[in-house]
Amino acid sequence: MALLRLRESQITKIHYLTGILSLFAVAIHIIFRLIMPFGQSLSYENVVANYQNIFYVILLESILVLISIHGFNGLRIILIELKQSHRWESTITILVLIAMVGVIAYGTRTIVIASGL
Amino acid sequence: MGTVSNNKENNNINSGREGVRGWLNPTRYGWERVSYWLQRLTGLFLLVYFVGHVYETSSITNGIDAWNSMLELTQTIGGHIFLILVIGTSTFHTVNGIRLIFTESGKGLGKPGRPDYPYNPSSLNYIQKSGIWVALLLACIAMLYGGMVLFGEGG
Repeated sequence: MALLRLRESQITKIHYLTGILSLFAVAIHIIFRLIMPFGQSLSYENVVANYQNIFYVILLESILVLISIHGFNGLRIILIELKQSHRWESTITILVLIAMVGVIAYGTRTIVIASGL
Repeated sequence: MGTVSNNKENNNINSGREGVRGWLNPTRYGWERVSYWLQRLTGLFLLVYFVGHVYETSSITNGIDAWNSMLELTQTIGGHIFLILVIGTSTFHTVNGIRLIFTESGKGLGKPGRPDYPYNPSSLNYIQKSGIWVALLLACIAMLYGGMVLFGEGG
């Protein structure tokens, strides 16, 4: 598996990059909630209208992928800090990858259905 | 029983493995250690929130009734307080994370010098400490702003 062969320094760079990119993507996501009264921005009609906007759909998918990679890699780092062995690290990496792919798949399903793609 | 437990504890300490107990041990906390601890706790909290957020927003696919039922659960005083906590933790995690990126690239660590008494490491200097304080301060300001938006008009 490709990720298991990546050096820790390369994974760290991916972690930093996804963190910084998430910051900008989430900022735009929050701005979409603040350009009108917060309660109104969460109305069904407004949220569906957001999903019909292709740029917003791309933004949501980016946030989903970036934060999933950053978040689950962070979890992997914490768990590897607690115990060190080759078997433990491989097990944690595989479990975290499965969870990450699961969350991305579930979120993508929502985006695809809601946007009517 | 107590002796067995003590032996196990001594073995863990001797082998350098303290696990979660070592991670949470407050007796070695300087500000850098508090920052290390908060970065991980806020990260875990935000990951749990993120997974929950992906799940809650999926209710949009089940139509307007499912969406409004979900809003009824989250648009409450408790839900707003939880969201304010999310705003605070995400701000701290972001600002402190940026500080850590600079630190890892060697920025703000100071110049290496001869170790003189009282042997304060030059890397744990005022730049690092003020970075942690700025992260905490910005988290408080963001929480205050979030509270005004959520509990203000139309929130």
